[in-house]
Amino acid sequence: MTSPDLVRRFLANAGNSAAGTHVVSDVTGLRRILSEIVPGIDPVFCPESTDKEKAAAGALPCRAADYAGATATVEEVYGAIAETGSLVCASSGGRAVQAGLLPAHHVAIVSRERIFATLDDCFASFAEGPPTNITLVTGPSRTADIELTLAIGVHGPEKLDIIVF
Amino acid sequence: MRVQLFGTCLVDSFFPEVGEATLKLFQRFGVTAVFPRGQTCCGQPAFNAGYADDARTAAAHFLSVFDGDAPIVTPSGSCAAMVKHRYPDLFQTDPVMHAKAERAAGRIYELSQFLVHALRAHESGLAGKGTITYHSSCHLARDLGVRDEPLILLRSMKGVRFVPMPDATRCCGFGGTFMAKLPEISCALAEEKADSIVATGADAVTGCDAGCLMNIGDAMKKRGNPVQVRHIAQVLAEGL
Amino acid sequence: MSDVQTSLAFRANATRALGDASLRSAMRQAADTFGTRRADAFAPVADLEALRDKASALRLQVLDRLQEYEEMFASRAAKAGATVHRAKDAAAAREIIAQILTDRGAKTVVKAKSMVSEEIHLNAYLEKAGMDVLETDLGEYIIQLVGETPSHIIVPAIHKNRQQVGKLFAEKLGVDYTEDPQMLTKIARRSIREKFLNADAGLSGANFAAAASGSLVLFTNEGNGRMVTTVPPLHIAILSLEKMIPSLADLPTFIRLLPRSATGQSITSYVSVITGTRKPGEATGAKELHIVLLDNGRTEILSGSCREILKCIRCGACMNVCPVYRTVGGHSYGWTYPGPMGIVLTTLLTGMAKSHPLVDASTLCGACVEVCPVRIPLVDLFLKLRERRVREGFSKPMEKRGMRVFGKAAASPSLFSAGQFLSRTFWPLVRAFGGKDVAGRLPRPANIPFHRRVP
Repeated sequence: MTSPDLVRRFLANAGNSAAGTHVVSDVTGLRRILSEIVPGIDPVFCPESTDKEKAAAGALPCRAADYAGATATVEEVYGAIAETGSLVCASSGGRAVQAGLLPAHHVAIVSRERIFATLDDCFASFAEGPPTNITLVTGPSRTADIELTLAIGVHGPEKLDIIVF
Repeated sequence: MRVQLFGTCLVDSFFPEVGEATLKLFQRFGVTAVFPRGQTCCGQPAFNAGYADDARTAAAHFLSVFDGDAPIVTPSGSCAAMVKHRYPDLFQTDPVMHAKAERAAGRIYELSQFLVHALRAHESGLAGKGTITYHSSCHLARDLGVRDEPLILLRSMKGVRFVPMPDATRCCGFGGTFMAKLPEISCALAEEKADSIVATGADAVTGCDAGCLMNIGDAMKKRGNPVQVRHIAQVLAEGL
Repeated sequence: MSDVQTSLAFRANATRALGDASLRSAMRQAADTFGTRRADAFAPVADLEALRDKASALRLQVLDRLQEYEEMFASRAAKAGATVHRAKDAAAAREIIAQILTDRGAKTVVKAKSMVSEEIHLNAYLEKAGMDVLETDLGEYIIQLVGETPSHIIVPAIHKNRQQVGKLFAEKLGVDYTEDPQMLTKIARRSIREKFLNADAGLSGANFAAAASGSLVLFTNEGNGRMVTTVPPLHIAILSLEKMIPSLADLPTFIRLLPRSATGQSITSYVSVITGTRKPGEATGAKELHIVLLDNGRTEILSGSCREILKCIRCGACMNVCPVYRTVGGHSYGWTYPGPMGIVLTTLLTGMAKSHPLVDASTLCGACVEVCPVRIPLVDLFLKLRERRVREGFSKPMEKRGMRVFGKAAASPSLFSAGQFLSRTFWPLVRAFGGKDVAGRLPRPANIPFHRRVP
């Protein structure tokens, strides 16, 4: 069971990396948040392969069949890391990790019990063999290549929202 | 207390007044300073340029001159670091000389280090005047770990206002043979250091290494000496 | 490429750089910003010294058993679907990569930042072979548009200011002039996105390779590394042998150290771990993955006295604190890797004959040693290389004779005093012939040296 402290630590660190953070405790809460952060007219990709994704789909009126043409992706990710405020996206179970990369807005649902305390705990969970792709995502895509001035949204999403459920 | 004083070649040739100030300080604290005759240079110029054999020749001479058990004190962080850290390496393959080098390494101290730890000079009410800033020399701070001692001494002085320098630990560009091999870069670094010094508004800048002070002094001379450049021994001995 | 600078001309390169005010202010700004950010990022890390010890020990462990890890990596990566190639030198690596691309009729290649690919001059080779190679890291993209090489391993276009980038984009991309970094970033995103989606192949480096699982690890911020490695059907990764770490369990140590040391971030936006190719039923990963393990002199370094340079994880922290680097910039060093680690790597990889002036490019101040996350004794390595230069006969005969005389004088007080006497007496001559740069900066010797004043 994930302690409230772990959730707090994760959200604080994720917030520091310029991600939007939200906590919900039921499907109604999830749908309310989604309707607030995802504009209804945008085509949204949602793989609908987990229960939480299926629940989320109900709040998404405009759906895209494929992430390549979507403005946003709403998906449940493998887990998260409190130490760094990172999402853990993994290709296991046939997940398309790049679904959270191409659209301009990435909305990630993290199951409360999938928050690891540390980086070590996260990699220990892959001990018996990593899937083809594991990506730790911390905040939106960024660069400081021009005069060290921070610019958000280079090749990846310019907006990242995290919903702990 | 008895110490052996290693004056260093730079002080001997260019800044004898630093050696004299050091002697005054020893006298003030009741220390008998022996100046082993025949001392020359620790060998850094050759060592830092990659001439290990020539550096070994110099080091062997140093070790024969500085025999005995008394602490060796020197008004130079980089010369002390040379003896402490590089001498043992230079004699890796010669057990007799290596043992001698280890013994010297164990009893060499830079002046400010010795003044604070052995003589508690910062509790003795030394006096001076003016606003003083401090350049932290690289080998002194990084190789010997002497970072606070000079500040403790300066802050303890009556009549002296100490002002910290921005980027005090950034290299002044002396670097021994570096100054000769890449003079354009050396000057640019000294200029930058001079900017930091002038920005403090101090009357004088001090430090624990004659080499750095020489380099800084040159940069200051080019701008009409807006700030005096003085070795810490001179600053501390001023009121004696 | 315009204006190729060589390591042999370090002093001339540096002198030219010193006269470039905008370069100097950009370099200084970068070094200071990164220096401060690094310090801030490590401030809350309580056990930093223990972490550095651990990272250093891990890297040494890898070097001690490099062949074993390399073989383990190759076999595990192959098992996961990758094809592993070994390249002895730059030419072999270039040929392997060009062949893979040619065999598949690949014409357009998108590239994520890789210093190793710079080391082997891969882009020029592929372009000559008729391929269209696009750098996708924003900084690399900028300098590719100008036709220059990186001046900083983390921020390749640090020597370009926003006005220069704005003008460049307006000229080369036909967009309206803007100097707003956020707008310029958007322009680059649009221009590169299209190419990503249609590229035949992606080319990347790797920050680490985990031997136990055969995984590649990439740290990026922009997301281009993720694009390059997952969007095109073919992914080619090139990395030098020493990038091995034992297993993914060791990765957290380096995640904690690398981004903090490099940019002052507690972690980069993305850390990607790629293990083999897309498997049946999977929706992520390249269909074909080729990994080129480059030696290019590493094995030789490994058996020498400077082997600890291979611990380097390319964070750039040594550069940001180096007084010389921050003053003269990366191009002065004349090869791929600048700054303190660059001095050592360049000398070892290109040979003393092509690089010996670089070993003087340090004041031996030790600021680099203080920040190196894997505790490379850089100053000791500079000193070893200076010794080697003398041994290999690349020092000036005058200097050699001078040092011999110095050694003799240092061992003979009377000779030493005689030298002092002569330089004092003939000081005007010393100043005139001793080189105005050097003797001109020394004060006049004292009339009575200290040893004659001591009672």
